Amino acid sequence: MIRTTFFIRPVALAMLFTSLTFQACKDDDTTTEQENITTVEVHLTGPGMDMKFYWRDLDGPGGTAPVIDEITLPAMTDNIMCHLHVYDESKTPTDNITEEIEAENVDHLFVLTPTGADVSIASDDTDDNGAPFNLETLWTTGSASTGTLNIKLHHEPTDKANTASPGGETDFDVTFPVKIQ
Amino acid sequence: MLNSKAAMLGFCLSCALGLSAQDCHIALRGHIVEAGTGEPLAYASVSVPEAEKGAISDEKGYFVVADLCENTPYTVEISHVECDHFTQVVRLKENTEMDFRLIHNAVLKEVVIREKAIAPAPAQPEQQVDEIDLAASRGINLGETLRRLPGVTTLNTGLTISKPVIQGLHSNRIAIVANGLTLEGQQWGSEHAPEIDPFSAGKISVVKGAAGVRYGTGALAGAVVLEPAPLREEDGMGGWVAMGGFSNGLGLVASGALDWHLPSSTAAFRLQGTAKKSGNLRTPDYYLGNTGAAEFDLSAMAGWGKERWTHEAVLSTFNQRLGILRASHIGNLTDLQLAIDSPVPLNNDDAFTYGIERPYQQVGHMTAKYKVTQRLSDKWKWSGQYAFQFNHRREYDVVRSSGTAADKPQLSFRLWTNTIDLSAEHMPIGHWQGGAGIQGIQQTNFVGLGGLIPDYRTAGASLWAMERWRRFPNPWEFEFGVRYDYRRTSATTSGSLSNIDTLVHFGSISATAGVIYHFRKYLSATLNSGYAWRPPHVNELFARGVHHGAGTYEQGRPDLSPEKALNTSLSISLQKERLDVMLTLYHNRIRDFIYLDPQNTFILTVRGAFPAYFYAQSDAVLQGLDGNASLPFAKNWSLEARISLLRGYRLLADSLETPANDGQDWLPLMPVDRIQYGLKWSLGGQANDGTFVRLMAATALRQTRIPDEGLLKDAPPAFTTIGLDAGHTFRLGTSGRSLEIGLSVQNLGNIRYREYLNFFRFYADEPGLNVGLRAKMAFGG
Repeated sequence: MIRTTFFIRPVALAMLFTSLTFQACKDDDTTTEQENITTVEVHLTGPGMDMKFYWRDLDGPGGTAPVIDEITLPAMTDNIMCHLHVYDESKTPTDNITEEIEAENVDHLFVLTPTGADVSIASDDTDDNGAPFNLETLWTTGSASTGTLNIKLHHEPTDKANTASPGGETDFDVTFPVKIQ
Repeated sequence: MLNSKAAMLGFCLSCALGLSAQDCHIALRGHIVEAGTGEPLAYASVSVPEAEKGAISDEKGYFVVADLCENTPYTVEISHVECDHFTQVVRLKENTEMDFRLIHNAVLKEVVIREKAIAPAPAQPEQQVDEIDLAASRGINLGETLRRLPGVTTLNTGLTISKPVIQGLHSNRIAIVANGLTLEGQQWGSEHAPEIDPFSAGKISVVKGAAGVRYGTGALAGAVVLEPAPLREEDGMGGWVAMGGFSNGLGLVASGALDWHLPSSTAAFRLQGTAKKSGNLRTPDYYLGNTGAAEFDLSAMAGWGKERWTHEAVLSTFNQRLGILRASHIGNLTDLQLAIDSPVPLNNDDAFTYGIERPYQQVGHMTAKYKVTQRLSDKWKWSGQYAFQFNHRREYDVVRSSGTAADKPQLSFRLWTNTIDLSAEHMPIGHWQGGAGIQGIQQTNFVGLGGLIPDYRTAGASLWAMERWRRFPNPWEFEFGVRYDYRRTSATTSGSLSNIDTLVHFGSISATAGVIYHFRKYLSATLNSGYAWRPPHVNELFARGVHHGAGTYEQGRPDLSPEKALNTSLSISLQKERLDVMLTLYHNRIRDFIYLDPQNTFILTVRGAFPAYFYAQSDAVLQGLDGNASLPFAKNWSLEARISLLRGYRLLADSLETPANDGQDWLPLMPVDRIQYGLKWSLGGQANDGTFVRLMAATALRQTRIPDEGLLKDAPPAFTTIGLDAGHTFRLGTSGRSLEIGLSVQNLGNIRYREYLNFFRFYADEPGLNVGLRAKMAFGG
């Protein structure tokens, strides 16, 4: 009889401890919040022009390869307004990350680098401190050509003036094929 | 010898359990030898006056005194015509076998004796962290404590995240066993440090080589074994308080334990706690931004007994927050390349602060354990143990601060583990001593969204038996063990445990065989072979994602088969007075070794392209040499040296791979060859029971044996660091109080260096000069 008592006490204690543990983590931060940029949208508007091009990888790294649109532009055109949008389409509803980036424009810098294609890109906005931001840009196309456009988003850059190496870390780094015709 | 053996045995916890109302059926078996020659002494007369019992030793020097009462001081008097009278006071906790060495009229201090039938790995290379190293390093972390042993190093993610590496292998390939319980956490991650407070252990040792029979499937390459100091034997209170401070990071650590043995009862309790805080560490040239740490641990132990029953209960909690070097947080390969090319860390906040910002880890571990043991006869006992562990790991990444992500972790792992152990152990029967047991384990791992590995449930069972043969004065000693483990894992790749879509199960045998030959009392050789296996872990089967620290895309392979290791080691041990030499040669052949195989492709992600690494298998060989020596060359002076050499390579799996290097390729991230050497000056016999100063240099060579492919190519150059340790113990009156003070200096020359096995070597130097001061007050001893 005495032996039984000795047995029960620690077991009961262990169960109590166990239930406390479970309780403790239930209302704790059990959910995680992970931002996955799945989609970068290049929205081009201009005289008689309203086109959207997408870089999309809905299932994240690995698995199905990303689907990338080719950006086609008319030659010898100026004042093409480019507005970038960033989404997480793995969430329902789709998480529009553009709004967060805009709200924290001081901590972000877009860098657009064309290669091969005859297009020049000029800044059309600044952040709250008057430094480059590049969410909106103005494009001018030249003669017919093909090439690529690389778009990077830098988070917490240390030197916004140095677009070649602004510091911070890269939030996305995507490359579109470009055709000017 | 008697003293040290008794002290070592005394460390095991259960012996300390205050025992019960008296049981008077305990047998003391003894073997009497002449101390100088080791020759057995026949026909010595043994008497125990308190019990009015006596015996005469047989031709081989053996005797038995039966029906002694537990927990009672007895004087064992031995006389022999050729020797002086010998007296030893013993207090028995259970059936015991001990050696008596007849020396000149020695009246030794009372010792508490207990021997476990399943002793810790006698036939396997085992190395204990000595008192000096334990005292000097336990304020930092477990990895730092262990890396001072030959054959042991650490895999680091900065100084705060430090995982032990035994003879080249780590993570899921070694087991960490604290107080008889294998730690169950997210061991698979290279940046997941063990959830252990070194202050809770009285003794820390490392078992090298395949130790699967003793410690389960996790112990493919060895085990780190931590044992708490025994609970208090004498009535009343005791304990200790320790404080420490470190100049680098302005770290503070406080730890204390309070022991209480209820008067005229068998019940004893202990409350032990540790608190730590440290800020940004500093290299010789700059601070390492966001490398602070904070920790709070608490444990409670109780032991009690009645008649033949003893009980033990433990509750513990471990909580830690570890800052991760901000400069190590990179987005893609371009960032990584920029970081590697830069001589100083980019994006680094070069200032001191205790504050910890994102990225950081928050880890909690809770343990509840209950163990009962019943002594069945003067030879047999059985024990049962139930344990529950809950591990909660949260990783907070750098995020855009607006939105819902602000206060939530980006990764969260919760792991619940239940284990049940039943075992039966026996004292020598026909010179065979050992036991057998069964074990059951059940685990649930909940990862949540985006967690690199899927949620899973695991159930498993194990069956083991182990026996050891030893007959004095026969110089041979043998050990055999066998174990069967079964593991069944159900995983879900869709994120909900109610939707299991993958089932894997593995079962296999482990075995060990060892032989020891005692040339002399002080010289022995041990040959041990172990066969152990490990089922592939869920991350190796199902991982899919970018490993940002390494800048690689990693993908699991669901059809992996278990790893099987055949480990053979030969050790030679020489211990004579102050001379202590141990040398171990080992060869570990692992069939179906699981590794990350670089593919010749890139995986395009939104952060750019990452080189692809897929999990693959092929046979691997790890072999090397560990040694340590303490050579006295003058009064109070000795020369100390430790060496670790290792070669690890993989046999190329198929003809598709380039047949360079004679069909072999080096394994990545193998510890570099390392030598430690120095001088020690000490007063007094035992290391920590007096005054000592030790100056040690550690030289790590450059790792030139690296795989042909892979980003982790450039290994940092060789370096030598110098460390100084000193200590002095004051006895305060006769009340058993003592004060120990110590000084430890790391990187005395404040040199700049980088470690091959530190992931932060891409970004920053190792910490510079660190001066640590510590004091420990023990009372009621």
